Amino acid sequence: MRRPLDLEILTGYFYVVGGPRGFLSEWPPVPDEPGREPGFVRPEVCALKILVTVKLVPDTNADKRIDPATKRLVRTGVETVLNPFDEYAIEAALQLKEKLNDGSTVTVVSMTPATGKEIVRKALAMGADDAVMISDDTLAGCDLWGTSVALAAAIKLQNADIVIAGTQSTDAISGDLPGMLAEKLGIPGLTYARTLEVSDGRVRVQRETDNGYMTISAPLPALVSVTKSANEPRYPSLKGIMGAKKKEIKQLAAADLGLTVAVGIDGAKAKLIDLATPPVRGKGRVVTAADADDGAKQIVDFLKERKFL
Amino acid sequence: MAIQNVIAFIEHKHGAVRRVSLEAATQARVLADKLGGKVHAVAVGPGAAVAAETLKKYPVDQIHVSEEDRFLDGAVDALESVAKSAGNALVLVGNTMLGRDVGSRFAARIDCGVNADVVDFTTDPSTSSGQGVAAIMPKLGGLVITTCAFAGDYGVAAIRPNVFSAKETSGAGEIVQIASNGKASTITVEDEVEEAAAELGVEEASVVVSGGRGMGGPEPFTTILKDLAEAFGGAVGASRAAVDAGWVSHGHQVGQTGKTVSPPLYIAVGISGAIQHKVGMRTSETIVAINKDANAPIADFADLLVVGDAFAIVPALTNLVRDAKAAHA
Repeated sequence: MRRPLDLEILTGYFYVVGGPRGFLSEWPPVPDEPGREPGFVRPEVCALKILVTVKLVPDTNADKRIDPATKRLVRTGVETVLNPFDEYAIEAALQLKEKLNDGSTVTVVSMTPATGKEIVRKALAMGADDAVMISDDTLAGCDLWGTSVALAAAIKLQNADIVIAGTQSTDAISGDLPGMLAEKLGIPGLTYARTLEVSDGRVRVQRETDNGYMTISAPLPALVSVTKSANEPRYPSLKGIMGAKKKEIKQLAAADLGLTVAVGIDGAKAKLIDLATPPVRGKGRVVTAADADDGAKQIVDFLKERKFL
Repeated sequence: MAIQNVIAFIEHKHGAVRRVSLEAATQARVLADKLGGKVHAVAVGPGAAVAAETLKKYPVDQIHVSEEDRFLDGAVDALESVAKSAGNALVLVGNTMLGRDVGSRFAARIDCGVNADVVDFTTDPSTSSGQGVAAIMPKLGGLVITTCAFAGDYGVAAIRPNVFSAKETSGAGEIVQIASNGKASTITVEDEVEEAAAELGVEEASVVVSGGRGMGGPEPFTTILKDLAEAFGGAVGASRAAVDAGWVSHGHQVGQTGKTVSPPLYIAVGISGAIQHKVGMRTSETIVAINKDANAPIADFADLLVVGDAFAIVPALTNLVRDAKAAHA
């Protein structure tokens, strides 16, 4: 059997989420009452605890390769970075906090090995207030399901009002985690959002569709995943970078999550049974077009050869 | 027990079924025949009954329909009830925004494994019969090909559009009404806006014509590239450089922060072939590039690179393609 750590890059053991107080445990949705927005949790408290999930991924620009003998990712010299999609989530959270300007806070949450501290610091340097890291060897090798179970348990401890996630990660590219988290948390999941606004205890977003968008809304607490159309992530300022060093990063272990089911590699519901390298795409033909017609003809001849025309 | 039944989740718009869902229905039969189970299709929302008529032409045993309009929740609840009645099931959804949303929520609710961007299926030798189902999918931008089996009686596979075939047969599935559970949706749909004419997405097109930085502005995306794509009945794609420059919308973007495509034919025009683009299209069957630079990185993985002026070659190519298509018609 492969050691769990060899799988971590292919599976879920790298997540971080962010926000301030805690939602599900302390503020269950209240029954509808006349004059009150359905599901509005704490009308007397305005400030929100915003949680942002983040993940560590291998740098796309790095020269990644698989050792053909061991079928393991060659880790030497592989740079890891904050998942690019999560930067949009952090930015969306910071913009929401700034817009509310009412004492709302942003907490970053990441399920990541200790090496992920750097990316958590980056999120703090961008402006998040504090962070929670869930690091535990028993979580290595989590599949999507295991990740959703463990991360949801950690998020529940934070008592957040809104969870903001990126749409997907650049390594696994499944795009499934936001929906799974929403389901595990038992809260509405508003995915593929390109805008985000919160008012009167509801979150409203424009969800991207294939040829436009739909406006959807739900009562808080809720989860939102944002697309890259949502914003332009800021760079950490020097002041932010210095300040991040003083911000709290709370450490959680698997035992703190109160899990009642096995996650990690042994509890995985999707079990990796083979890992292969695809055939290398060889260099093809390179021809120079004498003029437009010659270039077009060379392509058409090639397409006929391949039975496209 | 193991997985024997296969459920195809049907995406449709007012009854018009999305192609990837027909691919799911067809592939469901292939898998169910191997596993010794039944094929179910689940279609919900306004127009589901119309979608069911289309599905009667596909090899499905039972078509479960509900006209109830409950965004996301309706689909997940329906899948849950059909899957639980079947006792075990692999759920096939399209690897699309809606397919992923519905599949992921179902997986979390029923506590099963989910495999995304599936391009093939194989058998899982570790099951008691040795014939259980496993999914094959590229990860790390195509750097590795992973095979994942499902533990337990349920699983979700999000299939990459345009990889599996959709074949009409003489199927005549029985239509079953899904009983309402009386719940309201937690998400309110306030409005839906179409910003562009409905068009074939890059993920589903069999030919993708993409433009990059070399296009120099927005205009080629609505003229020469669009014309060439239309000559093939395909779709217009774009590199990140073109999208970030605002020349074309994000929905067209192919690559790391855009869509992953694997059409039979990919034509890259004025695209250098940076790794961020390559990871989104390198599994295309045939790649043709037009670029003014013979040493662009795309030369290393294109099947044919024509070095020349794209602005002149593309319109000439469009004419030749139209002629060739007309000759066959």
